[in-house]
Amino acid sequence: MSITTEISIWRRRPPFSVVLGLGLASVIVAASLLSYYLAPFDPTRMAAGPRLAPPSGAHLFGTDEFGRDLFSRVLVGGRLSLGIGISAVVSGLVIGGLIGLLAAFSARIVQVTLLRLIDVLYSFPDTLIALALVAFLGPGIENATLAIAISLVPFYARVTYGLAAAERAKPYIEAARLAGIGNGRLVRVHVMPNIGQSLIVMGTLGFSSAILSAAGLSFLGLGVQPPSPEWGAILASGRNYINKAPWILIFPGVAICLTVLSFNLIGDSLRDLVDPRRKGRS
Amino acid sequence: MLFLISRRVLVAFATVIVVIILSGLLIHVVPGDPVTAMMAQSVSATPEAMAEMRTRLGLDLPVWQQVLLYLSRVLHGDLGTTIRGNESVLRLLMQRVPNTFALAVSGLGLALAIGIPLGFLAAVNRGRLADTAVMFIAVLGVSIPAFWLGLIMIQVFALKLDWLPVAGSSWRNIILPALTLGLTYCALVARMTRSALVDVLEEDYIRTARAKGLRGHEVLLVHALRPALISIVTVVGLVFAYLLGGQVIIENVFSWNGIGRLAVQAMLERDYPMIQGFIVVFAVSVVIVSMLIDILYNFLDPRMRQK
Repeated sequence: MSITTEISIWRRRPPFSVVLGLGLASVIVAASLLSYYLAPFDPTRMAAGPRLAPPSGAHLFGTDEFGRDLFSRVLVGGRLSLGIGISAVVSGLVIGGLIGLLAAFSARIVQVTLLRLIDVLYSFPDTLIALALVAFLGPGIENATLAIAISLVPFYARVTYGLAAAERAKPYIEAARLAGIGNGRLVRVHVMPNIGQSLIVMGTLGFSSAILSAAGLSFLGLGVQPPSPEWGAILASGRNYINKAPWILIFPGVAICLTVLSFNLIGDSLRDLVDPRRKGRS
Repeated sequence: MLFLISRRVLVAFATVIVVIILSGLLIHVVPGDPVTAMMAQSVSATPEAMAEMRTRLGLDLPVWQQVLLYLSRVLHGDLGTTIRGNESVLRLLMQRVPNTFALAVSGLGLALAIGIPLGFLAAVNRGRLADTAVMFIAVLGVSIPAFWLGLIMIQVFALKLDWLPVAGSSWRNIILPALTLGLTYCALVARMTRSALVDVLEEDYIRTARAKGLRGHEVLLVHALRPALISIVTVVGLVFAYLLGGQVIIENVFSWNGIGRLAVQAMLERDYPMIQGFIVVFAVSVVIVSMLIDILYNFLDPRMRQK
């Protein structure tokens, strides 16, 4: 199944959810990339305004307990969250992909062992795997990113195995094998180009869960550390001013929701295109 | 049938063994020396105390011996003692299990009570406005971080409206955290219900029931709902695992005295035996629940019952 022919159906009438998701995602990505130019204040500068000031013309989202500008903090926080998300997804996809391919193209005993192990890990929520890993790795942005990447590995390994196993069963692979092509070359030249697009689509599905995990870890004090303006970390400190300054809770939370929502909207529609089991069932 | 059940029990046991081994190995993930990392916050970090800790945790043995030792200790019900206070990890965890269980069950109950009717509504009106609306709410639901929803609930229902307490020990304290979990995970349930019912509605026997002149609601309630509910039972285990994972953060938001709050405290204090104990208890709960659900499914589904 080729994804390009499927997308050409969209050219006539793309689903509203995809348009909404793509629109939201482009605004969020653009705002995060340009955050240092767009932010009116240095996100870590104390006393940029009065302490715990409500939203106003000077401070669009208000200020926090140190008088830092919340709008600037949320903008720059987007850069951190998206950065963690992208690094975690790329590393998780590479590691998981290699494990999945190894499982699909190795001896039965290796295959069964790997799949069973992946299944055990897959039955646990990814946020919890990230939490357990970070507890031992220690807090901090690099360790949190690594932990989230590893927490995504079971999902990506399973997806890659599924796609590669379906490809392996096709006649052209048989033909290539008969022509004497070894496993390594088979995977590189024949399998990867055919499952690559689907893998990238599945990559977007892990992205929203990575952002949620990052926010959760930082909220508990195990991820990005203050004064870095990560969204979960801002929420953790805003929690103490829940009554006096609810805006510290509202804006970073809305930012997380919109980011995760946009990638979920895109990912869900794309998944229907590449996942054979879910085809025609949107 | 007996064969199926015993096979399922064996798989569950093997899963627990694998998780115990992995959790035992986790201490080697610590960058540098785990004992130094653990005792960094302690005043009494003398070389003697550190050497004693190393022996206590068995870190002076080869890795394979450590893993086997840990496995045999855990299987004998010994999860070790906490670094600070030297208390039994198992006892501390078990004290909190009833609280965690009460919250998980009420959260799951709410998630099912809200999610199943929503998914049903969507599947019956497939492709129409109600379906689109429910599915949009479901995407929204999986996009809202549970801990943020919890904070908003505290702000609105406890502080603004003053309907419910933020913290305390009366039965009213379970309402807000349970509602937070229920609202977060009902989205997952609604999606699964919808796709299960959509599958059933495409079956031949539904067409037959319609063809023999049964009315719409009779077909739905008598012929479609039961098989759909049976396949929903199989995913309840998965929802339970995710809910229990989300609950770790929620317990901290609402200061609920469950194992999640204990675990995060241990994570911040680097109390490794406590964290490992938490992982084992968590895994055992998830594995037992999903095993019981699989066995229950075998009894519910008439096709499986005959085997």
